Amino acid sequence: MSDLSPKIIGFVCDWSVALAEAVTEDGRLRALPNVHIIMVPCSGFLRPQWVELALKQGADGAFVCGCPYGDCLNREGNYLIRDRIQQMRRRLQRQRVDPDRVAMIAYGFHDGEAFIAAVREFADRVRAMGTAAPSARAPVSGSS
Amino acid sequence: MYKRWLRALQRATLRVDVFINRVYPSEWNPLYFTGGLGNLFLVVLVLSGIFIFLYYMPSIDSAHNSVSYLTERVPYGGLIRGIHRYAADGFMLAILLHLFRNWFTDRYLFSRDSPWISGMFLLGFAGFVGVNGYMMAWDDRGQALLAMTVRVLESINLRLPFLVITTHPLGFGGIEWVHVGRATADLLTAGPGIGEGTLVRLLYMHVVPASTLFLLLWWHYVRLRHPKIWPPATWVLFCLGAVTFFAAVVPAVSGTPAQPAGKPAAFPLDVFYLLPYWLLKFMGPVVVVVLGVAVFAYGFYIPYQMREEQIEPLRHAGKAIVIEPNCTGCELCYYDCPYNAIVMASSPRPGQTRAAANRKLVAIVLDSRCVECGICIGACPFQALELPQITEAQIQEKVLAACRT
Repeated sequence: MSDLSPKIIGFVCDWSVALAEAVTEDGRLRALPNVHIIMVPCSGFLRPQWVELALKQGADGAFVCGCPYGDCLNREGNYLIRDRIQQMRRRLQRQRVDPDRVAMIAYGFHDGEAFIAAVREFADRVRAMGTAAPSARAPVSGSS
Repeated sequence: MYKRWLRALQRATLRVDVFINRVYPSEWNPLYFTGGLGNLFLVVLVLSGIFIFLYYMPSIDSAHNSVSYLTERVPYGGLIRGIHRYAADGFMLAILLHLFRNWFTDRYLFSRDSPWISGMFLLGFAGFVGVNGYMMAWDDRGQALLAMTVRVLESINLRLPFLVITTHPLGFGGIEWVHVGRATADLLTAGPGIGEGTLVRLLYMHVVPASTLFLLLWWHYVRLRHPKIWPPATWVLFCLGAVTFFAAVVPAVSGTPAQPAGKPAAFPLDVFYLLPYWLLKFMGPVVVVVLGVAVFAYGFYIPYQMREEQIEPLRHAGKAIVIEPNCTGCELCYYDCPYNAIVMASSPRPGQTRAAANRKLVAIVLDSRCVECGICIGACPFQALELPQITEAQIQEKVLAACRT
């Protein structure tokens, strides 16, 4: 099925963009069925390892969505994950994974449309890169 | 019911953000640092207040004259008085915005009650100091405000028994019933009725609670790491400019000097501080007091109103727990926890993983401070922290399931 590729996994902060109606029961975005959404209590809760895990297990791209910068309920969660993703991009580069396969976006409660547009743009970018190279999918031992 | 209301207000609050974020980058959205704006205005108030203090004479005969002298004769005196006046309005506006925004966006849940409760004290002290400031000008309005305050306090017809100690051999002179409202009014006016000591007392009651605001701010911030205490420079300049602009265009002026028997029928009202006095037009003083006490009591109750089971599972994932064998004592969670809920203790024994074998420290989560946000989990590269309801295994499970399909 062509509309289910590229396979994209999104980690979305529960306080940021409201997705209750935009997500199906099995966690896909209604507008973009190739995008799986995993809700988390705060974007700062994410371990970059989980984003990496998604890429290694066959996702073509992964993104994190936090609240607008400055509005994190815990003040710093979205800044922290932004920095951690920045560090992770360098790590991915060493592992010969295109760092543009991960993205950090920030949208507020009412920004549903802008969020979908941003995810669509990200999906198109990932599609242009092609599906992830097999070497990138191989489990990497010791991510130091 | 309450929850539905709160959700509707939350949606409305965040709707405002959408519009503001269209105009500025989100990091400049003034609603994201209303507390910092309050701090800015407070500093402006303190600095301009020190200047006014140098000229103010706290006595019935010369208070009004000294304020007039400051306004008319001292270079920039009128401007600085106006800045003091409008910064006070800005201060109240900022802290009210801060209160409502943090209420409607759930920023009081769990152990965030400590900032909330200290915030209620800050609000009360700020309101008291503000009203006091109007009295200190000692014009017709100031006198009327003080008279109204005394009248309201005296209407509290509550009597409490006090023991009377005498020099009698038994040392006990019986019980005296003290009228609490009148005693409080006497405290405010320094003795029964308005007298020579009243203005000194008002000055004291203006400066000391204002200084206490900083003590309360310490309480407000003590549980927060990296609190946003200051707005971006652009907004500092804008607010200073706005306050100066208002002070120059609409100067703060005194009314006619207070008369011993003066009883003004009308005076200009400041919506941010003098609203309760406006209510006195429509309600009895007792009703106003009861209303005020009820509003404040409810304010203190707000962080405890929502029952825990009403909170969505993602937002109530349980206090973070340390998986002790994995902890390497690296302190990353300690530095990233936004609520200072993690402390490092010296490790009683080595950890079990290789990375943790030589640890000197071990992380401990203080449950009473944890707000269940999970930021420490993101900070920990060693799998040594978990939220009980959203474990790493569950997240990995979801990732794998999403990758499989």
